[in-house]
Amino acid sequence: MARPVHPHAMTPSRPGRTRTAPPQAPSGWYAQPRMLRYLLFDATGIVYLLVGFVALRVVWALGTGPERWQELQRQLANPLYVAFHALALICVVFVAVRFFSLFPKSQPAHIGPAKPPPQPLILAGLYAAWIAVTAVVVLILAGGIF
Amino acid sequence: MRHLLLRLEPIIWLLFGQGILIGTILLTGWILVVGLGVPIGIVPADALSFERAHALGASLLGRLFLLALLVLPLWKGAHHVRSLSIDFGGVNRDPLVATLMYAIAGFGSLLAIVAVVRL
Repeated sequence: MARPVHPHAMTPSRPGRTRTAPPQAPSGWYAQPRMLRYLLFDATGIVYLLVGFVALRVVWALGTGPERWQELQRQLANPLYVAFHALALICVVFVAVRFFSLFPKSQPAHIGPAKPPPQPLILAGLYAAWIAVTAVVVLILAGGIF
Repeated sequence: MRHLLLRLEPIIWLLFGQGILIGTILLTGWILVVGLGVPIGIVPADALSFERAHALGASLLGRLFLLALLVLPLWKGAHHVRSLSIDFGGVNRDPLVATLMYAIAGFGSLLAIVAVVRL
């Protein structure tokens, strides 16, 4: 019967004959440029969590009524909130650029007889979708359309 | 707990992946207008007057947009914070951290559903 695979399933049940030191990361591993970019990508998760809960506050206030909505608009104009959203924008752009560069490489070579489009085409599609959706969202929210 | 997390992994990865892709795509415009444009004064405040914002948010498309915007970044955030914890703290405390982070994301998601429904 199928059951979940344990992440350490491939670990030998008994230690091998040859004594080996436990794996260790080199000192200062996190400061290497490649690792630093990887860790920053992970660290954007903190900002995403916070921005998600701030957005939740915004929508909650919208459902509560006009007075709460006006109060929240005043709070969002606080420089701390503005600085946080500026940081969030930097994080979002960083995540998009990094993820979009990785996405074409992570596609399977083929699914049955179908092959994915060339990598530059996938990349162009992702950027086009990002820019188009952002433009539409900005136009709608800013009152340009509707 | 570790086995439960492994069972839930396909769902978590789906939400996490969509949090990166859809969450990022939707968040950009939201932050530009709601987080920066209106508070700084680049966008007129009337654009997000209560009546207009409520009419936009309470429409079917508006609700779907808000639901994705609220829920998906939470799962992206939770999974990446878990990953960060493994990078710096190892796997020993991972079941605890993972449970905590996904509980926060799950709780936030439930609140998000309520917030969108009550519009």
